[in-house]
Amino acid sequence: MTRIIDKQELETWLNGIAQKKTLIAPRKVGDLVLFHPVKSAEEIEFDFDNTAISPKEYFFPRTEVLFTVDGRDGVSEITPARIEGETVIFGIRPCDARGIVLLDGPFLDSPPDALWSQHRNNTTMIGLACNRTVPQCFCTSMGGAPDDSSHVDIMLRGDGETFSVEAVTDKGRTLLEGAQLRDGEARYSAPSCSTDFSSEGISEVLKRVFPDPYWSRLADRCIHCNMCSYLCPTCYCFDVRDRRREGVIERIRTWESCQSRGFTRIAGGHDPRAEKGSRLRQRFCHKLLYFAEQFGSVSCVGCGRCVASCPVNIDIREIIKDVQELGARVG
Amino acid sequence: MDVTRQIRDKARELLESKAVDLVIGYEIGTDGLNARPVFVYDTSGVDRLIFDETCTHNLVKYLLNKKDNKVAVVAKGCDSRALNMLINEKQVQREQLHIIGVVCPGTVEWGWGVRSESRQKRCDSCTNHTPVVYDILIGEPVKETHVEDYADVKELEAMPVEERASFWRAQAESCLRCYACRQACPGCYCIDCFVEQLDPEWVGITIAPDENQMWNTIRAFHLAGRCIACNECERVCPVDIPLSLLNRKMEQKVLELFNHRPGMQDDTLAPLNTFKKDDRVGIGE
Repeated sequence: MTRIIDKQELETWLNGIAQKKTLIAPRKVGDLVLFHPVKSAEEIEFDFDNTAISPKEYFFPRTEVLFTVDGRDGVSEITPARIEGETVIFGIRPCDARGIVLLDGPFLDSPPDALWSQHRNNTTMIGLACNRTVPQCFCTSMGGAPDDSSHVDIMLRGDGETFSVEAVTDKGRTLLEGAQLRDGEARYSAPSCSTDFSSEGISEVLKRVFPDPYWSRLADRCIHCNMCSYLCPTCYCFDVRDRRREGVIERIRTWESCQSRGFTRIAGGHDPRAEKGSRLRQRFCHKLLYFAEQFGSVSCVGCGRCVASCPVNIDIREIIKDVQELGARVG
Repeated sequence: MDVTRQIRDKARELLESKAVDLVIGYEIGTDGLNARPVFVYDTSGVDRLIFDETCTHNLVKYLLNKKDNKVAVVAKGCDSRALNMLINEKQVQREQLHIIGVVCPGTVEWGWGVRSESRQKRCDSCTNHTPVVYDILIGEPVKETHVEDYADVKELEAMPVEERASFWRAQAESCLRCYACRQACPGCYCIDCFVEQLDPEWVGITIAPDENQMWNTIRAFHLAGRCIACNECERVCPVDIPLSLLNRKMEQKVLELFNHRPGMQDDTLAPLNTFKKDDRVGIGE
């Protein structure tokens, strides 16, 4: 026997949450399903594969004000931005939740990023286990699972009508107070990923393949848009700029990508990664080697967004396989 | 002889005789269903080349990265107009190119992992199934039947102003400024795009509706009279912004004012890239 909740009760509970907090949930927007603020559970899309854009933007927004400087009265006053109110994200997939927790590595490393910390503290994540996988999914190859509850506050597993409820953290337990749970069984069986391969040892192999011409040949095809980085749950590069609005200066940060030309251009004009191949290599080495060295785990969670959305089919799974084969040859 | 076979034969011949350094064509991607671009540098890679209705990408864009090479490129009708546009604007040299023109049957909607049966919207309004410039033509030229009426543009224009403004506002809200539209576009080749210039700062870096709208609008203006309607920008957009509506409006206007269709000849600059005394400028007319 486990604690379960029926869909109707779940919606009642979510409606209650939406009255007091900001509720973010998958919602249909045109042909896409996107995480979006919702006022009522009626707006929520329960039957979806995964959202087109990862939920990282609710912790690391596309654009965010870091602080403002008001110098209008001749005295400069600096006001750091503050994240007000509480947020609940419903329907987050295990891969995406893992992505958020992985980003605690760089963002909470000393000194911790004030805004990331506040977003994390103010947000509760309600996970929804996957009922099916799509061809681009490969979480199991990267150490995840379609029903993994390790990185959420509450985990729901069900068939769309009834869900088992696992309170994973104290934050989750608190939020669950008031939810109409009952004892019973929910029907759920975890799907398997259509792609399953081993990414073990990829970091070490990458070191050997680093100087290989493979990267510049691969970059022939890459058009170097920022799409993979922006859809990715674990890409976290940003640009910072000041802007003035009616005498008040705002310092903002906004998503940026290692794929864009000029990303590493420095004063004087030198760009250490001017070559397309070195830019493309950076993305994969950061995810599969540097991040692992700094924070103890590779940072690809296998959500498959980059695989499905890349306009020219730069496929990280193919790259891992190619690198493993090349590494075996040069090793 | 099928199209794939003929492309492979030509590619093999060109690489063997060292007439070109590489061939840019299509191969099957990792989903086993849809094409992706491929760069073939020697004859061992020739049998990877394919051609079918999933070959949507405009490979002409890649020539801008290979200016020092002799390149053979597979070009459909719309792609070939991009070639003329770039030749006109002196971005590629005709003599460096071997154009493998393919009569295009129309391409299908693109979705990784999905083999679509439905034709792309761009193909329904295509009047250039046969390439306009090539060294070898594969396939039989077809008679064009489409009569352009810009129904989609007219429908949008018929909307009340407020409704139209909110339509575009919603599009601007979803824009991520990933610049995939620009990166896929053969007409976007500025080394320093206006959107990234710091002085003057035409547009800021904020990923938010005001600046996103500015980005999309200015990009459309820069393509006025130059866009060759391959519609790759719309295909690659991760949030489905209907960029063709902007581009087709510009196309309609340029046709009306200057009787110009971009990329049809290799010796005609776009009207907005040049000035003639009898140009209609829309003032006092």
